[in-house]
Amino acid sequence: MNRTQLVLAALALAASAVPQGHAGHGGMNPESRAPLEAPPSELPAWIGNKTADHIFYKPAPYNFAVYRIPKLAYDLNAVATGHAMAYEDMVTGKAATLDSKTFDRINWVLNHPPKLMPDEAAISPTMGRLYGYLEKLFDWSHILHAQTVDLMIDPRLSWQQKDAEIERLWKFYNERAPFTITGLPMNMEYLDGQPYSGHFRKNYPKVNGLFWGYHWLQTTMYDMLWHVPTETQLPQYDVVGERYHQVELYKTDRDFMPMMGESSPRFSKRFPEMANSFDNLHMLHDMVNDILTSDWIPLAEKERQIKRAMWMVLASTHKGCKPGEGEPGTLHDHRYPMGMPGMGIMKGGDEEMMYMPGMGWMRMDECGHCSIALPEGERWGATVSANGWTMLVRCLLCARDMATETPGRAIIRASTEDPKTTLVLISDEEGNWKSSLSNVVFLEVLADHPECSSWSRAFTSAEAFRKFVADNPDYKDAKPLSLAEWSQLGQPTPETYRKIDKPNPYKPAPPPPPAKGEGS
Amino acid sequence: MRRFALYGALAVIGLLISPAANAIDHNNLEFGRSLRFDDAFSIAFGERSWEVGFGLGLPKKRSARYEAHMEFKYGFAPNRDVGISVEPAAGGGTDGRSNRFDVGNVALSYFHGFQREIGNAPALAYRVDVEAPTGRDEEGVRTRLRGIMTRTLRQYDKLHLNLDVNWAAKPGSGERRSTIAAVVGYSAPVGFPRRFDTTMLAQFALAQSPMRGEGWTGTVGMGIRRQTGVRSVVDVGIESDVFAPSGARTPFRFVAGYSVGY
Repeated sequence: MNRTQLVLAALALAASAVPQGHAGHGGMNPESRAPLEAPPSELPAWIGNKTADHIFYKPAPYNFAVYRIPKLAYDLNAVATGHAMAYEDMVTGKAATLDSKTFDRINWVLNHPPKLMPDEAAISPTMGRLYGYLEKLFDWSHILHAQTVDLMIDPRLSWQQKDAEIERLWKFYNERAPFTITGLPMNMEYLDGQPYSGHFRKNYPKVNGLFWGYHWLQTTMYDMLWHVPTETQLPQYDVVGERYHQVELYKTDRDFMPMMGESSPRFSKRFPEMANSFDNLHMLHDMVNDILTSDWIPLAEKERQIKRAMWMVLASTHKGCKPGEGEPGTLHDHRYPMGMPGMGIMKGGDEEMMYMPGMGWMRMDECGHCSIALPEGERWGATVSANGWTMLVRCLLCARDMATETPGRAIIRASTEDPKTTLVLISDEEGNWKSSLSNVVFLEVLADHPECSSWSRAFTSAEAFRKFVADNPDYKDAKPLSLAEWSQLGQPTPETYRKIDKPNPYKPAPPPPPAKGEGS
Repeated sequence: MRRFALYGALAVIGLLISPAANAIDHNNLEFGRSLRFDDAFSIAFGERSWEVGFGLGLPKKRSARYEAHMEFKYGFAPNRDVGISVEPAAGGGTDGRSNRFDVGNVALSYFHGFQREIGNAPALAYRVDVEAPTGRDEEGVRTRLRGIMTRTLRQYDKLHLNLDVNWAAKPGSGERRSTIAAVVGYSAPVGFPRRFDTTMLAQFALAQSPMRGEGWTGTVGMGIRRQTGVRSVVDVGIESDVFAPSGARTPFRFVAGYSVGY
């Protein structure tokens, strides 16, 4: 250990030993708090740069296509405003009123969203002056977020072209600037296991709820937009946007932030690096929120801890690392749940299974309804979005029954016999479905559930159905079902479904009552 | 006058048919849009922008002066941009010859922002403009070196200080070879925390007369910049010379412009 490292370690120890009043404000006994770790002595040079380094979008004809779905565009404008307002108040001594005045101010904007994307730097100028390096990292990732959304909404490109362009956007993001977030899966329990972790969500549940609500929208919109007919995106956002405004923004009981792999599993499987990068970005937001509002951390130490938090998720820190590898429970734990390369290992989970808030324990490579392995390739099954979650399922039966069992409106996105055509079904509160394909027909012939992806299907037309039946004599007696007929069907939970019975890792069981004779 | 109208019309048509009806930011302050000061930030790396503006000046004892301004900028590197501009004008003189249309000098600019605001330290930049003598009766290159400082005043409002040194390679008869000027600018958002699309500007500019033996011109001005599209900005401003050498005072000047980036 050289002299610099010794000095840094001593400083970190000294800083961590300063309780500075407010003990208990974070719900944590200062004495039980682990010491803060120092950032590495050699951080990337750009963190120390004194220049502004504003970088423009990749020039493209699809830029700003998000305004084709005006409500989504406006809501995303408000998300940027909300982020910036909260940060400005965190760094200008207004943390005490975050959950009252700041919340009210942001909430007004969320309900009256700006028609144009505001300049976040103008809303949080103090944040920019104090932590300009962090602003660069955030801004550049937000541009990637925005351009990907624009691309997916532009109706002029085929999905093949869009997928190729998404790859180019990822490359552009990584090559154009040094301030990039890694696309490797990261162990979320490790990142969220810092001495300051959890402070913000415990002490400012309403504004933390807003942040996680924004991240719910930002993670949910990918499967809403990706590989679906562009004309369905707007009506899908009627459902998603309503949920966002009525429920997701104001939830204060989430166990953890929404993850890309949970909210947009299809996109995350196809573009795991981008999905991981967004999750790591959102985790960095949480870490920064915790650091800025932890009043037991001195101001100078906050700067060091923010730099360390950034360093932990930077692409440069993980150069040479590979997805699926790494020492469990460490900074370089890049394993992922089987079947979901676009998500890191979650609290209490491993490569076999994970706990999904709102859904319980599950395996990401299995159908959420029948627990049978998910199909791969062009016959990818379906996704169901309902009640704030999105699940991958094997077949249309699983999708319909899962949606029917869940109160509220739902969206099903399903493969058809045409790999280029995704069926989108949107239900109302009463379970009446509307289809994106006017001639859609369904096959549903009850048989053994492990074969459900063969006998429960959607077709773009009766002609396509007849061709399938002709090619598959097992279904020669099957009749094409109209949407109305199909939606009236319903089956009991498949016999193959198995519930994984383990406790919620985010809510440890209370300690057992003292045995007789113990205590006073 | 007809040629002036033609240039203006061409500029407007160029904007309307531009494939990029987006870019630029109402908070990024540029010389001439709508007042005379720059802030210490370049346009973004990779961004291209078009700026056009029209001005109407009503000087004392002279005819009205019409000006146009067209500029293209490109952020060729982080914190650096280059631009090319032209400023045709007509009127503002005392006789037919001096009121004729003048295509103006073609100017090349280079901007470098070398420090952002960090803590209480201001953002710093400089800008160099070199004008080729394409205008009427012009001889020799004119150069302007501008130092720029931007600093937050309270929380959201900013102070901008611009210091200029102007140098003429071949000054005209009775002209100074070099002059100096300064602008103190102020900007603040309008409508916070409910609106985020408008910036108010104010300035006091002081410029040494280019004519030997003459003093200084002091100009006050106010303006706004409003985001009107995802990356387009409209600006308007008014200026008034509060003092000026005899016969050079313009009590009222109106400027309007439009900027778009892509």
